[in-house]
Amino acid sequence: MAETTVDRVKRAMPAARPLAGGLRRAWIQEMISGYLFALPAVSVLAVFLILPILASLALVFMDYDLLTPARWLGFDNITRLFADKRMMTTYWNSFRITIGATALNNILGLLLAMAVNRKMPRVLRYLLRTALFFPVLTTTASLAIVWQFILTQDRGIMNHLLQQIGLAPIPWLSSVRWSLRSVILYDVWKSCGYLMVLYLAGLQGIPEVLYEAAKIDGASRWQLSRYVTLPLITPTAFFAIVISLIGAFQIFDNAFVLTEGGPGDASRTIAMYIYEMAFKRYEMGYACAVSLTLLIILVTLTLLQIWAGRKWVHYE
Amino acid sequence: MTSAVRTIRSRAGTIRKTLARSSWPYTGEGLIWLLLICVAVIEVAPIMWMFSTSLRNPADSFELPPDFLPTAWRWDNYLAVIRSKKIDFPLFFWNSLKIAVIVTGSQILTCSLAAFAFARLRFPGRDALFFLFLASMMVPAQVTTVPVFILIRSLHLMDTHWALILPGLSGAFGVFLLRQFFMTLPGELIDSAKIDGAGFFRIFWRIMLPLVGPGLAALGVFTFLGSWNNFYGPLLFLRSWDKLTFPLAVVTLQGYMGMGNRAHVLAGIMMSIFPTLAFFLAAQRFVIQGIALTGLKA
Repeated sequence: MAETTVDRVKRAMPAARPLAGGLRRAWIQEMISGYLFALPAVSVLAVFLILPILASLALVFMDYDLLTPARWLGFDNITRLFADKRMMTTYWNSFRITIGATALNNILGLLLAMAVNRKMPRVLRYLLRTALFFPVLTTTASLAIVWQFILTQDRGIMNHLLQQIGLAPIPWLSSVRWSLRSVILYDVWKSCGYLMVLYLAGLQGIPEVLYEAAKIDGASRWQLSRYVTLPLITPTAFFAIVISLIGAFQIFDNAFVLTEGGPGDASRTIAMYIYEMAFKRYEMGYACAVSLTLLIILVTLTLLQIWAGRKWVHYE
Repeated sequence: MTSAVRTIRSRAGTIRKTLARSSWPYTGEGLIWLLLICVAVIEVAPIMWMFSTSLRNPADSFELPPDFLPTAWRWDNYLAVIRSKKIDFPLFFWNSLKIAVIVTGSQILTCSLAAFAFARLRFPGRDALFFLFLASMMVPAQVTTVPVFILIRSLHLMDTHWALILPGLSGAFGVFLLRQFFMTLPGELIDSAKIDGAGFFRIFWRIMLPLVGPGLAALGVFTFLGSWNNFYGPLLFLRSWDKLTFPLAVVTLQGYMGMGNRAHVLAGIMMSIFPTLAFFLAAQRFVIQGIALTGLKA
């Protein structure tokens, strides 16, 4: 950030600040403006995020079903977590969805971005980019209905196409084996376009000079991708992977409409489990306990990534 | 002189490259185009099928093999959905639109104010506050759901649109996004405005805000999309039929008549895409730029 004159003076003679009355007034004016400008956003954040997190921390120790007054439980909700098999199942599902969706979305997003980022007529590039980005604009819950029509076992479009090329029909939504994969498939269809645009921006941020220099040194096309593009795309990849992981761990709409979590709990995500605990069984305290484990896991994962990122992210 | 040398060297590079060219680069190029076209087809096919089926005779909507291009132009399917006695689609459309417009307008205002403060003003605790905003983007919606639900319930706002509007009045992502835009502007602009005696609000409103127009457009599209496509919030807070928003209504509609009349369900979903599509096409350049800036270093 560019230093202002006021900053420079303040840094040069901090002791003189009380003497310089005009500067001091300017400084106070800037401070008050800063707080006032931030106030609306900060108050929404405080009421709908910070306060709720603190309330969650308290609710964990309570039994509350919305109708009868909250009752102090102590550590019961927390000990209950350790024996909760369904929570473990839904965590495992979310974990698999997260790994599958993050990996596929990022690999596909990067490949598509590299593919679109080449010389081609402007109109074609516009059409391709819009086509690939289009699913991002649609409503997850509504399009899940369309995908239901596509993936149903009987008279579904996907199975019809599979049979056309001589493959056996697959129970996409109704089998333990496939329902989770269908959720991943749907998520990749829905969001790989977003990742493509993100990576495309990263690619276009790589200075052309570097490619020219490498070409002069006789680098092959493969070497250009490997030694110029790949290291310089790592900051974008880092950001993309962090937000994909956070997003994928919270997947709700997709599975809620597409498979309804079934069969059994086969495709139920942790977000759906928390929803069920809170709003189907009205165990508010326990739902808070489960949701806080999710918070702890996401924060740990993100911090781990920041730590690991130092090893593989290449900053100029 | 040096530029001449560079030209010669780059020419030599081109020649060397041409000499080294075998059939392999063409195969690679072919594979890339194949991937691109395959994925583009897969991304568009479900939407094409939805569009063409929504225009088909309802009795033909289960037909296999599927047609991805329109075989009929039954626009009256759309009319039937709009005029349906059982399901008041125009009302749901209005509900969704009202909430999305209020939330979008409010976010543009509150987020740009805060983003300007975090990017351009100096005050104690600024960086700590901004860090709080960044960190809050990690917090999953599920963590705040239960307490927010209890709060909304105790304020007697259940089953009102306020339950969706109030938490959406501002957002950490918007503050982060717009701060990225404000950071790209030269600081001298503020200095010279200050010398001219302008107050901070005037600097913000008259000088800085017009310059981050693309950022505001991007945030507008993102917020509108997020609100318009929100399913979880309405699922929690809305109960009565006349309060429902579009996505919730579509999913409910599917339960009511999904197996009987696929063409009508698909026509309903198509209609929900039109506003976001229009918004996106109008501001596409800014959306792309917005996504690009969030990916840069904070």
